[in-house]
Amino acid sequence: MMLVLLQQVINGVSIGAIYSLLAVGYALVYSVYNFTNWAFDGFMAFGAFMGFAAIGSLAMPFWLAMIFSMILTAILSILSEKLAYAPLRVRQAPRLFMMISAMGVNLAVVNTLNKTFSGVMRRFPIPDEWITTYDFGEISIGRMDILAAIIAFVCLALLWWFLFRTRWGLGVRVSSIDIDTAALMGVSNNKVAFIIFFATGVLSSVAGVFFGIKYAVYPLMGGAVTIKAMIASIVGGLGSLPGAVLGSLLLGVLETMVSGYVSSAYRDVFAFALLIILLLFFPNGLMGREKGEKL
Amino acid sequence: MGSQAPTSDQLLELRNLTVDFGGVRAVNDLSLAIAPGELIGLIGPNGAGKTTVFNLITNDYQATSGEILLNGQSIRGLKPDRINRLGIGRTFQNIRLFPHMSAYENVELGLNSHPHYTMFEAFVRSPRAFRAEREARRRAHELLELVNLQDYANDRAGSLPYGLQRRLEIARALASDPKILLLDEPAAGTNEEESLALVQLIRQIHQTTGFAILIIEHHMAVVMDLCRDSRIYVLNLGSLLTFGSPAEIQSNPQVIKAYLGEKKDGRRRRRLS
Amino acid sequence: MKPANKLRKTVIGLVTAAAVAAGLGILVKIMGAGYFQNILILVGITLIATLGVAVLTGYTGLFTIGHAGFMAVGGYMAALLAKEAQVPFFYAVLGGGVFAGLTSFIIGYPAFRSRLRGDYFAIATLGFAEAIRLILNNVRQIGSITLGGAYGYMDLPTLDGSIWSWLPKGGWGPVIVVMAFALVIFFLTHAFVVSQWGKTCIAVGQDEVAAQMMGVNLMTTKMMALFISALYAGLAGGLMAFYYGYLTPGFFMITRSSDLLAGVVFGGMQSVIGPTITSAVLVAVPEGLRTFAEYRLIVYGLFFVVMMVFRPQGLMGYYRMDFSILGRLWRRREPAKAGGR
Repeated sequence: MMLVLLQQVINGVSIGAIYSLLAVGYALVYSVYNFTNWAFDGFMAFGAFMGFAAIGSLAMPFWLAMIFSMILTAILSILSEKLAYAPLRVRQAPRLFMMISAMGVNLAVVNTLNKTFSGVMRRFPIPDEWITTYDFGEISIGRMDILAAIIAFVCLALLWWFLFRTRWGLGVRVSSIDIDTAALMGVSNNKVAFIIFFATGVLSSVAGVFFGIKYAVYPLMGGAVTIKAMIASIVGGLGSLPGAVLGSLLLGVLETMVSGYVSSAYRDVFAFALLIILLLFFPNGLMGREKGEKL
Repeated sequence: MGSQAPTSDQLLELRNLTVDFGGVRAVNDLSLAIAPGELIGLIGPNGAGKTTVFNLITNDYQATSGEILLNGQSIRGLKPDRINRLGIGRTFQNIRLFPHMSAYENVELGLNSHPHYTMFEAFVRSPRAFRAEREARRRAHELLELVNLQDYANDRAGSLPYGLQRRLEIARALASDPKILLLDEPAAGTNEEESLALVQLIRQIHQTTGFAILIIEHHMAVVMDLCRDSRIYVLNLGSLLTFGSPAEIQSNPQVIKAYLGEKKDGRRRRRLS
Repeated sequence: MKPANKLRKTVIGLVTAAAVAAGLGILVKIMGAGYFQNILILVGITLIATLGVAVLTGYTGLFTIGHAGFMAVGGYMAALLAKEAQVPFFYAVLGGGVFAGLTSFIIGYPAFRSRLRGDYFAIATLGFAEAIRLILNNVRQIGSITLGGAYGYMDLPTLDGSIWSWLPKGGWGPVIVVMAFALVIFFLTHAFVVSQWGKTCIAVGQDEVAAQMMGVNLMTTKMMALFISALYAGLAGGLMAFYYGYLTPGFFMITRSSDLLAGVVFGGMQSVIGPTITSAVLVAVPEGLRTFAEYRLIVYGLFFVVMMVFRPQGLMGYYRMDFSILGRLWRRREPAKAGGR
């Protein structure tokens, strides 16, 4: 019994790791720019496809393909910021408009992928020998799951180091409190935007690649995952980065347990039900800060 | 409410009002009272907490302790829209007009905030709905005339000059028929000529409508003139420094010292301690 | 506008409308009645749902990407009522709509209380639509009722003639029914947005804090707007059920919600006529141009961004309904004055 539970926790953590990459990217954008960036759905799929193409068509080794994917997705992310968000931000457009613009970017990216690659589900091209599991009695842990967790951890650790140990990271953190004050203190708005969207792009592409490895690669792959990442972010507290990580792991584990003990079909419904409960009783999540408006 | 309901014969009364934000006490043990129809001033150096007091009255910020009484009833903890319906209107320091709507529409929206007919009637355009809307239109034009903006009725609110926007905000605040109007720095950014016109306007509104007015102002000439027959409260670092007639305030050494703590451009000089 | 000017513009507007109608009549003859009927019905259905999103997003400023979920709820409920309980068509559709409206409280109440940010609501709409779709996908059977899950809910009574015998034959019956619904909804919606209730929605959409300070109850207004939008979506879903004669969860995917949003974003943020025109165009054009249909969503996506950057108020933002508007379109561009009347 305990072993089954442990297995589920392990599975939960492995999917939670993927969620956490997306949730942190989402939380980053939200904490500084105060809007919901729907587009990381498409970026994730884009990252997965770039990795897929790099290995399949360009015959790159896995590690190189990952870096290739990260860079391309980061470029896409930064481009979208420049074209779709910056003009609105400069004008102090209402959040509704930013959300619509983000949805537009997402629609464009996902459907371009759909048109280019068709909706067929593809296997991410890694050598078969890699897809082994390590067995400890009745518990088995997938090797790629371990890799996903490690890489996720490394990415987040790098991000943490950047945010808390570098000058530019400080600038980003100040911007998340008040972007106008940060500008007055000499933090360049453009640099901050570059950094944040670079990070979002990289995180999304890693999430995409590993999700693709774990399940499959297809244009709509972002769909179910991004809503989870957003809910995970709310669990942890909207805008909080550590909260996003915590919330993701928690959601991953809870979800896997529901899937195991109740029904796998209703796993995603669980996430929604969790959201409603959160909104009713814990809107600030575990670690959220309520950011008031200046009146 | 407590076992002994707080009573007051004043229109608006603040008792020992305090609010803490994190470790900062923004307003400290503030008490003041306004009788119906009075025109009271609230002044103080930058950062004294004046706008915070307004935000506490309208419950956009939750007070930590103390009482806020409107006509003897506690309004602490009520939703801002309820507080407005009970009779408190306000303008904002940062001007919160609806920039894309015309001046007329801004005022009209203020009148429409509590519809006088049911939603069903809205869909089917009942006679009562027509009458209510016609009345609202008439009143909106009336309010625009009251603040002398009838010539700008169809202009986009966002395109109006600053001074006119402030007047529009006042008209909109009047639309909800308040018993007391909270004005937050209406003279900010106005020049000599405009501020004189503003004083006249506020005085005229005060006389015509008979509402009480509590005005935050940094522009000394404006507030001293407006409140010449009543009193002014002085806030400093969240606490009430003193209150009295304009003459008393102007000659009060503590008030002068609090303001001298600022350089002419409003920044605080570093203290010696 | 001066009376003489307005009269002239109204005449021009009516003439334009008549010309367009005549042009359409010719198209019908060329393309065949059945094809046209299909388009008109789809336009009508989409229009009703789009108007709901217009009230919620365009007027009240609340982003939603989940109204396909309400269409599904309304559609399935209407179908259930008609097929299992033999409720007459009209009441079944209405029942579906009202049920969908009531369902909206599930996300409305949690998301709107205590002044939570609109982002929470947006996420909730996405979650809601997905949850509904998943539930419908997985529920094959409830007691003796076969909902069919992913295979679909089959053999529903259909709109053609079998419902009301006095409808004209030749396929125009369903068109008339759907168009009648759409027309009624259109006028009801217009009445609503110019009323004081509609104006509280506008105030909330423009600036919540200021609206609250004017005495507008945020929660009530938002829930009202959401209820109306969910009701409309439910009605549209019900009409869909009876037009197709069956329902599957696949009808209600997120692309459907994107279509509704597109109608409002392109048509105009505070307009009833704007989304009406654009949703009609957005339905008719892809049907007519198959190749365009494949690129449709890509183009929508790009245009969302373009619109937000260059013309966020949409095609007809802030305009009131008036035939003189069509007349105004002929004039050379002049700076638009908001309101104007």
